[in-house]
Amino acid sequence: MKSAEESRAISKDRQIALEVNNQAENFYEDAVQLGDHAAYVLKARHRSQLTGLENLAESAWKVSDVLDYVKRQTARFIYQRQTWPQEAQNQAGGTDRDASATLGFGERLLSYLEKNLEKRCDEICRRLEIKADSDEGRKQRRRVHLLLIRQFIRQMVIEYEFRVSFETENAKKGEA
Amino acid sequence: MPTAEQMQILWNLSDSVLYPEAVALIRRLVNEEECLPLPASQVIRLLNIASASSYTDLMRFMRHQRERDWPDAKKDIPLFYTELDKYFTTFKNKRLREHFPLMQADKPAKEAGQEVDQLMALLARDFIQHLVTENALLAVKKAAERGKRR
Repeated sequence: MKSAEESRAISKDRQIALEVNNQAENFYEDAVQLGDHAAYVLKARHRSQLTGLENLAESAWKVSDVLDYVKRQTARFIYQRQTWPQEAQNQAGGTDRDASATLGFGERLLSYLEKNLEKRCDEICRRLEIKADSDEGRKQRRRVHLLLIRQFIRQMVIEYEFRVSFETENAKKGEA
Repeated sequence: MPTAEQMQILWNLSDSVLYPEAVALIRRLVNEEECLPLPASQVIRLLNIASASSYTDLMRFMRHQRERDWPDAKKDIPLFYTELDKYFTTFKNKRLREHFPLMQADKPAKEAGQEVDQLMALLARDFIQHLVTENALLAVKKAAERGKRR
């Protein structure tokens, strides 16, 4: 038999998972845009940039660990700072509605994970009455933000893989 | 060793307090007070000390760096360490108990002091980590701005 407290915790976890999944539906288009931007600047040869990010996000305890990682990679590698020119967007069949499209990939990703997903985290916490006035509330809030980041990165990486698969295929055709 | 509960508080603090305050501190120094970003050699030393040493050793290192006789070209470095020292000292004296209210309860003075130092070492490590990553980004931006001006 589960105690009332355990049942409440499980129920809260389910509610959080449901809310995060709903938000994931809403930010899917944004993840696609960033995945396409990633494919343009990283190409297939820098795949490890995204697998490294995905692994880190899956195991991180803190949102700031993910943000620090993105910043470090952005500062270290010039391709992480490349923008996605309109011409290249048209070729890829995408149109970016986002004003931050003038930013390099790393800064754009950083801004999305930090600001946009924080707003979505606020919305979820408001709906689920998760308040930041206790350690437990702050812990739940951190978890919600991390779950949103993981979902977003997963979607972005899938789009990136999809886009670079064409690049790899074309390269093979060129060799044949 | 901090308890599991203390680690949760520390992680909350790292995200909601240390990260924004570390970013604000280094941005103020570089963007408003026109200091140069911290050079790579200092970043590496600071990260090494922060990740492997006690809080006392970290403070000793920072005070040593602050009081060294730096050449004019590096005059921003002691200012950086002065700000860092000020931040940690204020945090330890005024804010630590607010975030860890159960700390030191019924403990002898020596043990209580050790607990404070252990928590401060972990807090300082996270703060420095956030600060140096923002510093790296600012260094790249400043270099790009210089490149455009040329």
